[in-house]
Amino acid sequence: MNIIKKYIPLTIVFIFGIITLASYYVPHRASDEYLEWINKWENIVSAFALFLGMISLFYSHYKKIQRKVDGWGYSLFVYIGFFIIMGAAILSKGNISKEGKLTYLGWSFNNIFNPLSATMFSVLAFFIISTAYRSFKIKSFAAFLLFICGLILMLGNIPLGEIIWDKVFGWTKLTIGEIKDWIISVPSTAGRRGIMIGIAIGAAVTSLKIIFGIERGYMGKE
Amino acid sequence: MNRKFLLASVIILSLGIDAFSNKSKDSIKQNIEKIELKNLSVVDYPSDKGNSIILYFDKDEKQKNFQYEIYLSTDSANWIKAKQAKYDELSASNIEIPFWMWNKKRNINALAIDVTKVFSLQEDDYFKQNPKGFSVYAKVIAIGDNKKYESQIVKGIAKANWFRIDRLNNLVLVLIISIVFFIIVSRAKKRELFIRKIAGLEAIDEAVGRATEMGKPVVYIPGIGSMSGISTIASIFILGEVGKKIAQYDATLKVPHYDPIVFTVAKETVKQSYIEAGRPDSYREDINVYITTDQFAYAAAVDGIITREKPAACFYMGYFMAESLLLAEVGAGVGAIQIAGTDVDSQLPFFFTACDYTLIGEELYAAGAYLSKEPMLVSALKVQDFGKFLFITFAIGFSILLLIFSKIETSYAEKLLDIFRVR
Amino acid sequence: MKEKLNKILKLDRRYLFVLLTLSIVIPIIKPIGIPSKSISTSVKDTYNFIENLPEGSTIILSLDYDPSTAPELHPMASAVLKHAFKKNIKVIILTFIAGSGGLIDELVRTIPPQYSKEYGKDYVVLPYMANPLAALTQMASDIHSFYDKDINNKPLKDYEMMKNIKNYKDVAGVIGITGTALLDYWVVYVGDKYGVPILGGVTAISQVGYGPYLQKKQLKGLIGGMKGAAEYEKLISQPWKGTSGIDALNIAHILVIVFIIFSNIVLLILKFL
Repeated sequence: MNIIKKYIPLTIVFIFGIITLASYYVPHRASDEYLEWINKWENIVSAFALFLGMISLFYSHYKKIQRKVDGWGYSLFVYIGFFIIMGAAILSKGNISKEGKLTYLGWSFNNIFNPLSATMFSVLAFFIISTAYRSFKIKSFAAFLLFICGLILMLGNIPLGEIIWDKVFGWTKLTIGEIKDWIISVPSTAGRRGIMIGIAIGAAVTSLKIIFGIERGYMGKE
Repeated sequence: MNRKFLLASVIILSLGIDAFSNKSKDSIKQNIEKIELKNLSVVDYPSDKGNSIILYFDKDEKQKNFQYEIYLSTDSANWIKAKQAKYDELSASNIEIPFWMWNKKRNINALAIDVTKVFSLQEDDYFKQNPKGFSVYAKVIAIGDNKKYESQIVKGIAKANWFRIDRLNNLVLVLIISIVFFIIVSRAKKRELFIRKIAGLEAIDEAVGRATEMGKPVVYIPGIGSMSGISTIASIFILGEVGKKIAQYDATLKVPHYDPIVFTVAKETVKQSYIEAGRPDSYREDINVYITTDQFAYAAAVDGIITREKPAACFYMGYFMAESLLLAEVGAGVGAIQIAGTDVDSQLPFFFTACDYTLIGEELYAAGAYLSKEPMLVSALKVQDFGKFLFITFAIGFSILLLIFSKIETSYAEKLLDIFRVR
Repeated sequence: MKEKLNKILKLDRRYLFVLLTLSIVIPIIKPIGIPSKSISTSVKDTYNFIENLPEGSTIILSLDYDPSTAPELHPMASAVLKHAFKKNIKVIILTFIAGSGGLIDELVRTIPPQYSKEYGKDYVVLPYMANPLAALTQMASDIHSFYDKDINNKPLKDYEMMKNIKNYKDVAGVIGITGTALLDYWVVYVGDKYGVPILGGVTAISQVGYGPYLQKKQLKGLIGGMKGAAEYEKLISQPWKGTSGIDALNIAHILVIVFIIFSNIVLLILKFL
């Protein structure tokens, strides 16, 4: 059992890890063909995993409906929503529009999915304002500096900000756009580069750990 | 009589025109003189798939005002014009290959040519029909001084290469890091290595303890990354440790998932954590739940779970995008202690403001070593430190060298830049 | 006084939500018309890139955003497509996000007829592909080996504009408009590797992160957020949702700044009381 659960996955990871790493240094067509083949396998495995995930989803909601736990109606809606959209997709044969007219799937997409997604994203605006009011307290010089940079970037992002800046600081002969571009391209880029380099090195070492079987989190625990 | 005279005149005239045109053709043919271009060669373009060649020949000062037309053929009979360029436009430095493969200081005319484009070949068919390489003939027509000169015909072959010598710099770096990795990891057990305190990871005990006291669940969100993401792998490891502590304290754990593969792996991880903690009976299948693979639908579902269940602690570990604040703010709203960790720097500000503890990038990758204290994982952290040390040394040292070389001799500066160029 | 100030600091966030709603809704219903003074360099670079392309060139337009980020990205996608058609540039539209189908459909239903553009001759739409890495690497050798059919399930090779398109060498550039990290993939796996000019359109929050790429010219141009979309619409003289949303953006930004300053002033007063 140990061979199946431990050694075979480790061997697979090692072999494919080394081959994929080596393919970066091999210009031959064989390398491209290997990568295409691996990508196809990834798609197949993802499809099966999605199927497993859906079974789990339906099972857990079925249990909630069966036991009539608090909020079981939402679980019923999971089934209703799924079958309505599936039905629309099947009837429309997967097309969003046909001959310039919206199909059932297209209508569902435009009038249900679109507004719901946009709503969730727009909730972000409200959360930003409540977080900013609650949490952005200037308690140190570093926080003050951060606030000034944030203020310049926010004002630089809006035409009204340009007008305000020109009225108050127009005498400096600098536009807020120039200062904003400088902040983005110099200190922000420098900081980002540092983080990116650290993350890249971390990713490289973690990859080595995974290839050589030192990091085994992806297998689940032993 | 007049008709005969007219006919004779026409015949003589046409013969004359014909003779004149033949003479012109002869004179045009005579205008294309033969020339021997010194060291004219066609070589395979190194480190490529096998669809390019390099044509080069020595520069001649007398041809400074010349223009060159390069012709290629597969049978030295039917020629196709591949490229046209002036004397000044052709040089060894045009070939984008590093100095260890090609001497850019040579006084030659050189250019790279993609043969598939010249002969309009489909790449798939090209590689299938020419597994051992594509033979090509080349000649150069030099135009200048009101004359045309045709060079000798040379033959070359475009072959697929098996190793990218132009990426040697990259390979050397990878080998250095790998060798250091092996050395450090192999000495892992001999010495206890120091890791600085990471507040977010230290607070895990506090968060789980709080959840147990309040009798409320712990919600662990592994992000929206796939299992191939390093941050997701790190997150699953942390989930294992968190699961163990929760099993020990007999608290409740909820893990909603975005990715079905991550869900499958997390299920096994959590189950094993409960077994290791000696509480296999406390494990339930519905600890891990797959929600959906749509970003905002997932955020909406998790927000609903947090709002209804009112957890005492929320963990956000992994890859997050725009939904980060949606999740963190709702968690803050129910009064949960929040610990976040991500390598997506654009989301860090949101986690900083809404969460109690935040792990930045590499701190998330170090979590495995930090929590388990396994000597091999801890020593792997030192390899990261070595990598950063190497980078800092190169950045400072080579910047100074570049400055010096650019003042003294620019070719050294170019060679130095070549060492760090990514191809 | 101290209690009142503490109460203000702990103000119920629903009041803030109401104020924010009013600040966004009112300018949309009754536009103020705040003029845009300048156009950022990165937007100008994007505009100039398309403007300087020879007629008949082909570009790839990768539209990878879903309805959540559509308010920022859809106007810039529309502006770029209109500009391309105006310059008689052929467009290959593709996507790696499942939720973008309806948005792409809206673009291709409404914009091509305005410029008398014909499907198959002036533009094609490729089907959604789940694996962006596979697509990006395979298109380097042969687009048709990965995308053998278009979104209408017809062979891609049969379309007039695709007959001369084999791989990235036949394409003048790629414009990736996305709310995800897909633009990074285009830069790393296509721009850096094959020397294809890459330009981008991203949300305002992601824009800052592309500073390093812009500096090193790995990205030839970038349109950031709704402001970037409004600037692009101004350049092509076709105001649309980017321009109309800018008033609401103005007021909302000012409101957030005012709230931050206000809460810090209250905190400062409390400190000295």
